[in-house]
Amino acid sequence: MIRALGWLAVLGLMAGLAAGFGYAPREAVQGNVQRIMYLHVPAVLTAYLAFVLVLAGSIGYLATRRSGWDRLAAAAGEIGVLFTGLTIVSGSIWGKPTWGTWWTWDARLTSTAVLFCVYVGYLLLRSLIEDPEARARYAAVVGILGAVNIPIVHFSVKWWRALHQPSTILGPERSPIDPAIGLALFVNWVAFTLLFAYFLSRRMEIARLEEQT
Amino acid sequence: MTYARRAWIILWKDLLIERRAKEHANALLFFCLLLLFLFQFALGPDRERLAAAVPGLLWLGFILAGLLGLGRSFLGERDNDCWEGLRLTPGDKSAIYLGKLAGNCVLMTAVEIILVVLFGVFYDVDLWTPAAPLALVLAVGTIGLAAVGTLFAAMTTQVRARELLFPVLLLPVQVPVLLATVSATQALLLGQPLADVAHWLKLLAGADLVYVTIGILTFEFVLEG
Amino acid sequence: MPSNWGYVLAAYGIAAVTLLSYWRHLARRTRALATRRPATRRAA
Repeated sequence: MIRALGWLAVLGLMAGLAAGFGYAPREAVQGNVQRIMYLHVPAVLTAYLAFVLVLAGSIGYLATRRSGWDRLAAAAGEIGVLFTGLTIVSGSIWGKPTWGTWWTWDARLTSTAVLFCVYVGYLLLRSLIEDPEARARYAAVVGILGAVNIPIVHFSVKWWRALHQPSTILGPERSPIDPAIGLALFVNWVAFTLLFAYFLSRRMEIARLEEQT
Repeated sequence: MTYARRAWIILWKDLLIERRAKEHANALLFFCLLLLFLFQFALGPDRERLAAAVPGLLWLGFILAGLLGLGRSFLGERDNDCWEGLRLTPGDKSAIYLGKLAGNCVLMTAVEIILVVLFGVFYDVDLWTPAAPLALVLAVGTIGLAAVGTLFAAMTTQVRARELLFPVLLLPVQVPVLLATVSATQALLLGQPLADVAHWLKLLAGADLVYVTIGILTFEFVLEG
Repeated sequence: MPSNWGYVLAAYGIAAVTLLSYWRHLARRTRALATRRPATRRAA
């Protein structure tokens, strides 16, 4: 079953590549660099999905004390950090030719970087506690706080940005959506979600096997 | 024994211990003085550059002092084998959280007053004129910092590498508080009226509410085991 | 404007390497756990 999901994900990714490079047009203002968006945006959306699942797993564990919820939180946290890292790296590479700099404290990159730090901390906490029960409990508390903090981070960064710089017209956040670009984006997003589901299943299975030893 | 009374007892106990031993207070006071030097040397002799950086430095100072002070919130209980005592307290454990939170707010407030005075004197910055709105920003910012700090302190007290993990966990979560307070402080020091920073205050108040609520709801889970 | 394909390839390349490495990491861990406990291994 999981293997089928894996193959489906591969298919999806190939479709996504085709859509991103074959079907979608070359963007007028930014040129081909804009195609990184088909990687960058699905990655960040998948990361958010992952952290919502961390929240669900955390609440689920504290409410029921069943380790399945903690396995969900652990797996989703790990994969979420992976995709957040990808978001940041792809965003940075996109930014270099577009804005001339590898890093800019724009709202999305800054929020994503903060998100990355929060959940790396989450994984660090998990790695430092050996007792599975205590680990699940403490991780759950951090998982809940981290997730609930996301909108607060979002607004604070957005308003902070507004203070320091007028919003750029050319920016990954602001390109008008040509329907072909929108479709390519959608296909890639579905592909990433399938990949996430596949990774999640495998990672949770590993966690389950580990518990038994 | 009522909930409020239990919280009060925790606060009173901590204040009493502090008054008798004075270990935290003296060290933190001296630390604030050292920070003053640190910032001055890091930024160089240019007065204007320093003055422009004051809002950020002020909050950087609070956070650094907070990392030291807050991280030690439960050390007394752990070192003196009182952790079991906390766990066995009857009734809602969140009263302990609120008591500890109140104590930490008192500690942080003391640190902040000291730093504000030191900044005003040594960096020649007028912090007296905007004192009232500044105090408001300090208050909401402090609650945010202490609310999460107290919760994480309880958690990391029992974990390996406590001194490293506590800042690593606390700082990313505190980013919005830092952004909001520094922006608001900067505006106030530039002479802008309180109304201009109302949105920041609302964000901080909202964040404080969220953090304290989560602290209250999850503290019992942290205290177990 | 320059075509900047280098950047595009870099971004996708890094993504591909990262995701593939993670997949292999998962496969390796699963194998290690499965061989340690052959009695309770389940078909995926």
